[in-house]
Amino acid sequence: MDTMTYTTQHIWTWWIALYLFFGGLGAATLTITFLTDMYCRPHRKLVLWGALSGVVLLAISSAVLFGHLLHHTAVIYVLNPLVFILKPDSWIAWGTQFILWMMVWGMLYALPYMRETPLFQRLPLVRSVLQWPLVEWLSSCCMKRRRIVGWLASINGIGTAVYTGLLIQSFPAVALWHNPGVPLLFTVSAFSTAFAYLLLLLNVFITDENDDDLRHRYERFDVILIATELVILFSFFNYTLSGSESGYRSAQLLWGDMGWLIGFIGFGLIVPFLLELRGVTKGWGSRFPTVAAAVLVLIGGYMLRHYFMYAGVYAYPW
Amino acid sequence: MTRYAMVIDLNTCVGCNACMAACAMENQTPVWKGEWRTYVHEKEIGVAEQVRRRFFPRLCNHCSNPPCLTVCPTGATYQRADGIVLIDPERCMGCRACAMACPYDARYEVTYDDIKLGKEFYGDLQRTSPSMDKCSFCAHRLDKGMKPACVETCVGSARQFGDLDDPSDPVTQLVASGIAQPLMPHLGTRPNVYYIDDLKRKG
Repeated sequence: MDTMTYTTQHIWTWWIALYLFFGGLGAATLTITFLTDMYCRPHRKLVLWGALSGVVLLAISSAVLFGHLLHHTAVIYVLNPLVFILKPDSWIAWGTQFILWMMVWGMLYALPYMRETPLFQRLPLVRSVLQWPLVEWLSSCCMKRRRIVGWLASINGIGTAVYTGLLIQSFPAVALWHNPGVPLLFTVSAFSTAFAYLLLLLNVFITDENDDDLRHRYERFDVILIATELVILFSFFNYTLSGSESGYRSAQLLWGDMGWLIGFIGFGLIVPFLLELRGVTKGWGSRFPTVAAAVLVLIGGYMLRHYFMYAGVYAYPW
Repeated sequence: MTRYAMVIDLNTCVGCNACMAACAMENQTPVWKGEWRTYVHEKEIGVAEQVRRRFFPRLCNHCSNPPCLTVCPTGATYQRADGIVLIDPERCMGCRACAMACPYDARYEVTYDDIKLGKEFYGDLQRTSPSMDKCSFCAHRLDKGMKPACVETCVGSARQFGDLDDPSDPVTQLVASGIAQPLMPHLGTRPNVYYIDDLKRKG
């Protein structure tokens, strides 16, 4: 039993990377916008963008996963809220419930804003739904208990972002995945990409000058998160260099790949970090550098998960 | 109590693959796409005159601490009191997390297409829904007092099956002697398939 076989996997590939990326991005976006609305200042447009983006992105990511299931009707077992009691040790069970309840509380939090938004009043079906007595009653309840609803959505959003890392961490055979750094890395990356996404919105779609303070604040947060991500990745580099053959082979796959090194580390993290750092310290004359940085961070967010899935090395003793 | 385990002697496995055939017929596995519940892995070791071929039968290790069980979100993967890890195909949604978690590469997928092909290949196919699949230690045979099909058919008696909770069982004695070792015990999975190493054998 002295020979080993080392191999990467072809079971969870790009579609899981997409699931993890959209899941983390949508959840963190919803959380950030709700916390902004609760603790910075009420911001109807931001909440609507955040809630709808969160729900749409989570719906896309869940649809990608659902589409790849072997037995679609059995999904009912994991949608059942009692899954917490039946399978408390499974992160997919937790993640599915986080996603579901984040969508429910997220839509409830956004409901009062939807009712006072002209766009929704102009959409025939949506307008009639918003005028249902039950929806009116729900909306007034959510207004009265705004912070409770906001925190319920945010807690589930944070849970979803952390879950994306815990899911990968639960596979013990692969050194790159089975370590405490993965949930941390994926959570930091989820919030970084969410800030980038919101910076994109605030510079392209919600171009109100009164939001300049939010733009600066988000940019500052993103700079800190990108720096944190670089530190975590450096720790991963050191961790994988020795300790296990599985980890070492993952290190060779990642750090010997120009797509990872120049594409992700270079253009997905360092370049946007420098662009945003300059924006925070000295400012830019135009919005283009901030928008470019945001787009690069978003592309980098997907690349991180893509490379992570493909670089996990199994060590088989045969 | 009973705790089932298997010991595989790599010195006596001749690579005839009869275990694979017996298992496939017994459990109706999708052999048309190269998926087996037990598989004899072949590898050439060494160079020039020192080269030798090693046959390495592998299967689900029916771990006492199975990572495939904890990651399963629907509860489709479960463990019997005798330690056998099983899959309920009706409950499995096929997310493949178990295959990702398994350090022994023991799981494979059965799709809708496989069920269709299986009906043509095996005639009366017992499976009705797609799911992940793996070795069951032939639990249905054990319940009738028989041995797993692979053990029964092994020409070199390379596979031995027994109860680790029975001190007089030869399998228990082999494991207790330390001659038979589990694969990758450092992962904490507590496997119940043990191997006797073959370092001295020349092919």
